[in-house]
Amino acid sequence: MTRRDAPLETLAHTGPWRERHPADKAVLALGLLVCAVALPPWPGAAVVGTVALVLLAGPAGVGPGRAVRLLRAPAAFIVVGALPLLVAVGGPTVLRWDPAGLARAGELVGRSLAATLCLLLFAATTPLADVLPRLSRLGVPPAVTEVAALIYRLLFLLLDTARTVREAQAGRLGFATRGAALRSAAGQAGAVFVRAFDRARRLDEGLALRGYGGDLAVDVDAPAPSRRFIASSVLLLAVVVTTTLLLRLVIA
Amino acid sequence: MHIAEGFLPPVHAAAWTVAAAPFVVHGVRAVVRQVREDPDSKLLLGAAGAFTFVLSALKIPSVTGSSSHPTGTGLGTVLFRPPVMAVLGTIVLLFQALLLAHGGLTTLGANAFSMAVAGPWIAYGAYRATRRFGLAISVFLAGALANLATYGVTTLQLALAFPDPTGGIAGAVAKFGSIFAITQIPLAVVEGLLTVLVVRLLAHNSPKELLRLGVLRRSETTATAEEARS
Repeated sequence: MTRRDAPLETLAHTGPWRERHPADKAVLALGLLVCAVALPPWPGAAVVGTVALVLLAGPAGVGPGRAVRLLRAPAAFIVVGALPLLVAVGGPTVLRWDPAGLARAGELVGRSLAATLCLLLFAATTPLADVLPRLSRLGVPPAVTEVAALIYRLLFLLLDTARTVREAQAGRLGFATRGAALRSAAGQAGAVFVRAFDRARRLDEGLALRGYGGDLAVDVDAPAPSRRFIASSVLLLAVVVTTTLLLRLVIA
Repeated sequence: MHIAEGFLPPVHAAAWTVAAAPFVVHGVRAVVRQVREDPDSKLLLGAAGAFTFVLSALKIPSVTGSSSHPTGTGLGTVLFRPPVMAVLGTIVLLFQALLLAHGGLTTLGANAFSMAVAGPWIAYGAYRATRRFGLAISVFLAGALANLATYGVTTLQLALAFPDPTGGIAGAVAKFGSIFAITQIPLAVVEGLLTVLVVRLLAHNSPKELLRLGVLRRSETTATAEEARS
């Protein structure tokens, strides 16, 4: 796996919360995510966003600069998506500036940015490999979690294949024109398809030689959930909710 | 085009999750049945899912001069059928959210409905309806319509969540639609072309797999291989 393909996964594998049980991090980050979506955006988004950013930058070990950089791409999508709220259609002119839209767009951008920071907090601290086997406990059939785990195993290998092919094509003017770029992209997809099924076949043969009976369950390194961490998280969530509601009363 | 984390109001996010659930559950049952009957197919499904993820990460030329990404669901649907794509597409969306912060967990249901349900089913309908006119036409329509349907449903989801104060939902569809249409419609055509190129390449390089997946008929393998070679 490379830092380029999945910076969040690299952070999750190397961060200070790597050894924590996923439930610890789920209660904190996903609890904050629920707050971000369910609380009134003003001042809820500001409170939740600030808490998530401070946690990301500090205890979660991501650092403030990197946290902001990670937020940049999703933030661009969010801002572009909120632009239509600034205008209204119909009336004497087809399109007109809507003064009430600014507040609505502001609330939308705030809520979405706060929620994205909570998602980043979870994703940058919890490796996907820790999450997938535990999805079975949430009622997802083992066949599906195992397929998901296989996708995870093959993914980085195939991304590497696609990149290697792309670099080779670039060296041969494979992206000189639009037509060439399209043919090159198709070539990458074709190479990845062949590689994916070849790896699956080889994995199948390797497993068959080891007495594969259709069960891919693996031992998961399982540190117990920390009661203290979960209790602190619940307390923090209570503080976030109370602060938001009190601030709302003060503003009103 | 995914809806970002927290972008939809909670009621809409929940409603789209409920709307996507029957299709995903139907797909999960199909996957579980397939895996029970043939345990080896688990590995092929893993390969198919990883392929779908990497497809969505490929860069294809965009009209604005920059590059964009295909949805990959049109090709996935042609190869693996819509019920399987509902599951693989949802897994890919979960991976994109947790690995790339692209999309989100609260909007997973809405994104799954547009990209893993509506796109594949519309693409599959077009593919089956036009399959008798030749592989290239049907595959082009599947690739282009999967992309367009995903974009169209996403536009509708956003319009329902944020109706225009004067134009209502129709006005909001026009607003959200037009902001992305400049890049998205040419992108759908490009994805259609890409899908045709990939299938022609696969018909040439991996005809056995395409026969096994039911994409190629035995009578077509030689003809398609020769066409791809010329």
